[in-house]
Amino acid sequence: MRDELLSLLWLVITLAGYYVLKPLYRRLPRWWTSPLLTVPLLLAALGLLLGMDYPAYIRDTHWLVLMLGPATAAFALPIFRYRQLIRAHWPALLAGVLGGSAMAIASAWELATWCGLDDSVRRSLLARSITTPLAMLVSSDIGGVPELTALFVVITGVAGIALGELLLRHLPLRSALARGALFGVGAHGAGTARAYDVGTEEGSVASLAMVLAGLLNVLLAPCLSHLLR
Amino acid sequence: MNSLHVRMRWLGWRRPRVARWAQVALIVLFWFACDLTSRRLHLPLPGSVLAMALLLVLLLAGAVPAASLRRGADWLLAEMLLFFIPAVMAVWQHLPLLRAEGVRILAVILVGTVLVMGTTALLVDLVFRWRQRRAG
Repeated sequence: MRDELLSLLWLVITLAGYYVLKPLYRRLPRWWTSPLLTVPLLLAALGLLLGMDYPAYIRDTHWLVLMLGPATAAFALPIFRYRQLIRAHWPALLAGVLGGSAMAIASAWELATWCGLDDSVRRSLLARSITTPLAMLVSSDIGGVPELTALFVVITGVAGIALGELLLRHLPLRSALARGALFGVGAHGAGTARAYDVGTEEGSVASLAMVLAGLLNVLLAPCLSHLLR
Repeated sequence: MNSLHVRMRWLGWRRPRVARWAQVALIVLFWFACDLTSRRLHLPLPGSVLAMALLLVLLLAGAVPAASLRRGADWLLAEMLLFFIPAVMAVWQHLPLLRAEGVRILAVILVGTVLVMGTTALLVDLVFRWRQRRAG
């Protein structure tokens, strides 16, 4: 009985924390006010009080995780909405998504090997640049831990907002296309939200680049798992 | 099928909130059907990706007007963060690992993200400018 109440309490806290902390980012859009960072920190702080019991936490909140499936299906709409953009700029988008994804996988693998990280951690790092639902799919395909990947995706998102702004200032980028793709391929949803602050065109390119990079990774995951065996 | 779209348009105009929830429910049902199919037939494609591909085909073929799913899809995408936060809390089970390797993992992610962003942006800019020069 007590356990069930605790699970329910966690669900309520997760929902309440999310909806309370989300408006903060809209009022003060900085990388450290992103709900990506503030909500997990709040939950971690409460975890110290209530006990960090993940099975009890996930019992009622797993319904939320399940919703990632329909959210993935909903990606069809941005692709459809920006089909004109794909038709006009497919060579540049293709180059960016292919090159960026290759760099994401190669850099994670090489750096992790060089740092001597665990094999499961190394595999979980490979999909960190793409959007969470797809990253978790890819991660389980290539022998990673999907939950660890979800954490790495979050860290990438928070870091990506800050690093993206830094790079925009120092790279000689002339097109909105490049500025958008930088955020979309490098920092998935978090970067896309930031790209919309830079400009509408950057935002559209970012969300499109994010979905395309994610799909590319999902389609390549079987080959990758074969390669990394 | 057609009358459903008409009804959804009307609903979206008169009661946007109800329309949004109805559209979310429709997408969830569609995903559920695709997920079940993918499992039963042992397809290599995950159910959610199959649902996305089928939905895109339906949209491109004009069988489903984008306007009658827009609110629901936008909501699902906007609230995605809420859906994966519970998965992130699984770190509680990996605390010893993160205590041992956390700093190195952070370094890999930071350096890797700079490399990915730089590569992507420079490649896109390069191809974009090259195409522009050829066109002009």
